Amino acid sequence: MSVKTLDVIRKRLEERPDELRRARENGLKVVGWVGYNVPEEIIHALGFIPVRIAVGGDDRLVEIGARYASSKTCVFIREIVGAFAENKDPYIQQTDILAFDATCLQNYRAAEVIEYFFKKDVVVLAVPRNFHLDEAKEYFAHEANEFTRLLEERAGAPLDSARLAESVALYNDIRKTLKSIYTFQASKNNVISWEEVYDLIQAGELLDKREYLSLLTQTLDELKERQHYPVIASDDGDSRIFLSGSLIPRGDRKLISIIKSVGGRIVGDDLWSGILPHLDLDIKEISPAGVALGYLNRTPHAALPYLDLESDRRLKKLQECLSQFKAQGVIYHTLRYCDPFTFKAKETKNVLAKSGIPLLEIHTEYAGSDYEAMKTRVEAFVEMIKIKSEIAEEQSVLVDA
Amino acid sequence: MSLSGNYFAGVDVGSLAAKSVILKDGDIFATGLVPSGVNSVESGLNALNIALESAGLKQEELTYIVGTGYGRVSAPYANKAVTEITCHAKGANYLHPTVRTIIDMGGQDCKAIRIDQDGAVVDFAMNDKCAAGTGRFLEVMAGVFKVELKDLGAIALSATDTVPMSSTCTVFAESETISLVARGEKPENILNGIHHSIANRIAGLFSRVGIESDVFFSGGVAKNSGMKNAIEQALKVTIVKPEIDPQLIGALGAAVIARNFAKKEGLWA
Repeated sequence: MSVKTLDVIRKRLEERPDELRRARENGLKVVGWVGYNVPEEIIHALGFIPVRIAVGGDDRLVEIGARYASSKTCVFIREIVGAFAENKDPYIQQTDILAFDATCLQNYRAAEVIEYFFKKDVVVLAVPRNFHLDEAKEYFAHEANEFTRLLEERAGAPLDSARLAESVALYNDIRKTLKSIYTFQASKNNVISWEEVYDLIQAGELLDKREYLSLLTQTLDELKERQHYPVIASDDGDSRIFLSGSLIPRGDRKLISIIKSVGGRIVGDDLWSGILPHLDLDIKEISPAGVALGYLNRTPHAALPYLDLESDRRLKKLQECLSQFKAQGVIYHTLRYCDPFTFKAKETKNVLAKSGIPLLEIHTEYAGSDYEAMKTRVEAFVEMIKIKSEIAEEQSVLVDA
Repeated sequence: MSLSGNYFAGVDVGSLAAKSVILKDGDIFATGLVPSGVNSVESGLNALNIALESAGLKQEELTYIVGTGYGRVSAPYANKAVTEITCHAKGANYLHPTVRTIIDMGGQDCKAIRIDQDGAVVDFAMNDKCAAGTGRFLEVMAGVFKVELKDLGAIALSATDTVPMSSTCTVFAESETISLVARGEKPENILNGIHHSIANRIAGLFSRVGIESDVFFSGGVAKNSGMKNAIEQALKVTIVKPEIDPQLIGALGAAVIARNFAKKEGLWA
């Protein structure tokens, strides 16, 4: 199932830290961003190099992070804090400025801790809780302007509208191409797996954006040449799993590898470290506020409150994705102390049960001690889906007969 | 000696015991149960050999073997491995087709399983990685009171009162128990409290998957009459009585699944 361009991307990722170092030596600045609603186009248009700071899967760093952040902070944030404390991550080492958003309040706390203990230059974008209200949108537009002003100060130049328009166009092309590639992974006789596309999405958090678009276009061309039209169907004998819940950043592949090892096939996700941030982003106006509002109007992060179950956009998007990718079950990943997603697990399960989609919650952290217990749960869930499919198939044969 | 018929085996290697069941066509023919050792392959084979010996069979006369339990990952003697969740569902359904809910309490974990009329799993939940509400927890408590594990339930049932136990962590519960003894509380009342504390924790698991009658109790802890009583009170249900040792249900389910696989693969008509 090898897609040649993916090898090129892997090689470019290996070279990227050195490339960033050289760029900084030539006077460019790197902005490391953390969050869900950071309008990356603004950072890019100001001439900074944006890289996403997202590390996971290392329990040792979590322990180091716990020396600075409360041990009740989610393991992802504790690991980020730990990575800053240790300062060995090549992207953290190359970061000049940090941009955080306050979508999740634990994210905001990390910004404070990193600024205080590690003397980093941190810019924070405030995010309204009741994001659907007009007053909240007005507030967010104001905060986006302030966020831009703080970055302009650091860039030493004002934001140019034409450059912002170019950045928005570039990012729109990236999102569009990613969405096309994503359809291929879920298809019958797929030549690219979900795992490969997930790595591809996360590669874009680090690589140069123009080069990334070019590599994505090559990947898509390769896929079209080998597969023509992707047909998504649930009758391919696979246990089609959809991954939801807390983010799964670079470095954390525990759950993903378990699902694969027990014969499950991931066909989609709505993780904020996956495809979700690239869906439904509609920038109506080329201005800092216009870009930021485009972000806020996407499917909201779980840290923002529910409206009501009937109109909740996050649940609606999840159901839409389940239908599009013909998923047969949801594995809902919750990280220890990631309250936004953990608190919503049961409601999500109850809503999906009404349409016959089973949900398994996997509550975990970065230690390896729960590996076998997780494997038993995931394996039993995959068995459950397989048995359900077999029964449905037998019944349809009987009806046909 | 050669016996006619088709034989299917299930081998369940758990953290504290290895169990086996051999089905002759559709009926339980032989069983085996041994304590688990460090080597899970050896433990599984020991349990299987006990059943084979009592049946007068050789391993090669078995048409199909399914391995389950934590030892399923290293069971070279098995044709296939299936999780204990699926196996307990099939085992309970084999004995009682009306069962819709299973509580499985083993040595190191506890599961709440909902099943349908065919014994297929509909939903399930497991305790988190700590030992609260498991056989290991009760083993530690038996050690504190210096009584046999098998007598724990009967002692709890003789209580005149229930001393509340606030800790669910095995280590904290052990020190809390020692404090209660030092305070002069009667051992049977403390043990009664321990059983109710575990039962309440199990009720929490069922809040995630729901309860539907009939309810079945499997696993090694199901032999504990005090635990059965406490769970019946906590869940407000009546648990159906198993015809065989409840510790064998996982292995029984594995044997039933072995028979199904053999049929599907054309090894048995």
